[in-house]
Amino acid sequence: MKPSTISSPRQTNSKSVSNLMTTVLICLCPGIVSSCWFFGIGILLNILIATIAALVFEAVCLACRGKDPKVQMTDLSAVVTAVLFALTVPVGTPWTFIVAGIAFAILISKHAYGGLGQNLFNPAMTGYLFLLLSFPLAMTTWHIPLNDLTSGMPISPLSMEGVRQSLLASFPFMAFDSNMSKELIDGMTVATPLTLTEMASPNAFAAALSSDASIWSRDARTGWEIVNMAYLLGGLTLLGLKVIRWHIPLAIIGTVTLLSFAFYSPGSATITGTPYMHLFGSATILGAFFIATDPVSAATTTSGRLIYGVIIGISLYSIRVWGSYPDAVAIAVIFGNFWAPMLDHFFKPRSYGHKSKISQLIQGLKS
Amino acid sequence: MSFLAGLFWDKSSTKAHKTPGGIKPADFKDHSLRSQIMTPPVPKELWLSLRQKDGNNLETLVAVGDKVLKHQLIAAATTPFGVPIHAPTSGQIKEIAAKLVVNAFEERQLHIVIAADGLDNSQQLHPLEMYQSISKIQLIAKLHDLGVGELGGADSPKVIKPDIANQSQTELLIINACECEPFISADEALIREKAEQVVIGVEILQRASGANNSVIAIETRMLDSIQALKAALENRNIKLVLVQTKYPAGDKNQIIQAVTGKEVPSGDLQKDNSILVHNVGTAYAAYNAVIKGQAYISRITTLAGKPLKTAKNFEALIGTPVPFLLELCGNDTLKQESTIVGGSLMGITLFEENVPITRKTNCIIAACSDWFPEPPAELACIRCGDCADVCPAKLLPQQLYAFSRSQDLENLEDQNLIDCIECGACSYVCPSNIPLVQYFRASKATQQDHLKQSELSGHWKERYQFHQSRLIKDKEESKTRKARVTKSRAANSESMDFSRSTAKTDIAAAVNRVKKRKIEAALKKAKEAKNERGEGPI
Repeated sequence: MKPSTISSPRQTNSKSVSNLMTTVLICLCPGIVSSCWFFGIGILLNILIATIAALVFEAVCLACRGKDPKVQMTDLSAVVTAVLFALTVPVGTPWTFIVAGIAFAILISKHAYGGLGQNLFNPAMTGYLFLLLSFPLAMTTWHIPLNDLTSGMPISPLSMEGVRQSLLASFPFMAFDSNMSKELIDGMTVATPLTLTEMASPNAFAAALSSDASIWSRDARTGWEIVNMAYLLGGLTLLGLKVIRWHIPLAIIGTVTLLSFAFYSPGSATITGTPYMHLFGSATILGAFFIATDPVSAATTTSGRLIYGVIIGISLYSIRVWGSYPDAVAIAVIFGNFWAPMLDHFFKPRSYGHKSKISQLIQGLKS
Repeated sequence: MSFLAGLFWDKSSTKAHKTPGGIKPADFKDHSLRSQIMTPPVPKELWLSLRQKDGNNLETLVAVGDKVLKHQLIAAATTPFGVPIHAPTSGQIKEIAAKLVVNAFEERQLHIVIAADGLDNSQQLHPLEMYQSISKIQLIAKLHDLGVGELGGADSPKVIKPDIANQSQTELLIINACECEPFISADEALIREKAEQVVIGVEILQRASGANNSVIAIETRMLDSIQALKAALENRNIKLVLVQTKYPAGDKNQIIQAVTGKEVPSGDLQKDNSILVHNVGTAYAAYNAVIKGQAYISRITTLAGKPLKTAKNFEALIGTPVPFLLELCGNDTLKQESTIVGGSLMGITLFEENVPITRKTNCIIAACSDWFPEPPAELACIRCGDCADVCPAKLLPQQLYAFSRSQDLENLEDQNLIDCIECGACSYVCPSNIPLVQYFRASKATQQDHLKQSELSGHWKERYQFHQSRLIKDKEESKTRKARVTKSRAANSESMDFSRSTAKTDIAAAVNRVKKRKIEAALKKAKEAKNERGEGPI
């Protein structure tokens, strides 16, 4: 028997970081699949490019920092960062932009701060913000294959022609004919749904349902609801599996719903948007369940998490309605990240056997 | 399932209050609960540690070569922190020597080694069926004399602390039957088989402590034991509280909260005497001591682990070597990699296996990598907060970990590291395999060191300040002295000024005096000259 210096506890449960991250990735799948249905394979190309880039940067960084990439990369955190980043950048973003954004996310936002667990800001969102601030137009334009370029007839984004167009958008060098790529850009540019007036109507979804078109044949403009429903499904699964806690998603969604109810007036609906549009016509659901809940950069105490969620909810709505960015999940999450350390400091739960701060205050006032 | 229904509608048992945190690990208890408690044969040698709680040794009452009988007192306490020990079997004192003890590192303590003669002859016992006939003080003395001690981790090893014995302020006696750690089933087996004796033991402890009420807190999981206890508790004034099955439900703070619904104020654990918590094993020992007159010479120990052919509960003599018991269970030593004394969550992985069991050894686990694999590599903390959810002290281990890494003692204190009970629930759930408890133990040690250092530095600071103040004082003194000197000088010069004004008269007086003297001298001379010439007056 060899002398052992292992300290207690000897027994541990089987939960691991890679399990958690894998669960997150699986729960993202319904949203990704439905996105593909409506926007073509552009989203898959985004994910592919971002993941490969992220893994390469991660391995290089870990090796440079003297850590074993084989051990440390098993946590899959780089993959989750890459996928979340890929879901936020518009489909049809050229691969160079994606690699640049991922480089910023992994190199600067994550490893320059000390690697996983040390980063103050959500790496995926800083990567996206880097692109948004550098290339504002590219980051707010979605290239969705909707027309056959030659005939001008509407097509499914998953048809051969649609796949070809998605590939061309992501890899512009594949277009040998310069006319072709120019045509492409002209032909399939779609603004983000928040700027579409259709989404402002509370009955857009109901109207689409009552029309003859089946749910699966709807196009990119009305498909957003289905995509968001799919994200909601994944998010609720995460909650059910206790990978995330309810505080942050509830606080964000609650705040956005309340604000959009409060500021909604039918006359100016196109300006402020309905609660329905704010929840299902934007990235609120994705942000609330998958992005803001990144534990590293979020607040870590119960009350801290609630306040963190409210802060994100308020900034999300304000920037969207009164600011100059169409969707603001990334900015709002980064804004929340700024607050997190302070929230952790001031909103500690009461330890066992200690008096709460309020009762301490009262006692202090009495004496 | 009728007994289950009984659990929920029976009014004799009460549901416990909620307690914070906790985990539900796989407990492996069914292995050792399949058979009844067995009495192993007497080993060839028994090793009994003489160490007292305060670090001093007990006073030995026997010499090497002496013959001893079972239950004979062989060492007596020298301080209030000692519990007397008795010979577990008959035999001869072989030696009194330093031997290794149950620990994770190499630690030796002085032991009495008894070579058993195999006859197991007992000395005359003094059973006392009607313990109500003797006074509370006598009862406490009897318990103490027969070595019945506290089996938990309290500061005083005495079953009834002296301050409780002297003044009855105890209101509630809680008998802790929550055996929350995996693998350990000693208490559960004891209650299952000897509920009647345990209950009488509880009544003895209640009388000795002067408590108004007594409660047995038991986990809802222990169905057989609950059944047995309910039968034994009929027509008795002891309440049964069913505590939710989780780890660490058997922690003293948790059990007090589960029974009373109130939190134990931080740092008050030992000061408050109104609630007394004791283990089931202590109640059983009290029964044996008073009703049967037996000394505390054996205890129930669980033997478990994959390398064992059968897991068992033994009523083993204190001082029995660990390998002896493992061998009785058919231990596959080739498979065994380490030995854990205690449960799998708080137990100590032994430095050396060949050590004796003590009065507190409730479980021995033969560990192999099938059930206890090498801990995987430690990854970065992702602040998921799982540890905070399971912390029974409602701390934030993710924050404590960050502050431990950065050695931020101020924030560690602010986050109440001191309230960590080191149960290991945080390490158990950590998805990054961080040995959090290890970090917290190290940080606590650093805190202690820092405290000592600051005390020491406080001492030097005081001396320095004294030195400084003396310097300042000296300076001031010298200043005042200087001032005085200059003042006196000034005064002197003033008096000189004064004399100057009077100098003229003085000088004039002196000049007059000199003139006078000169005239007198001249007159004298003239007179003498006259006398020399002999000239008389003409």
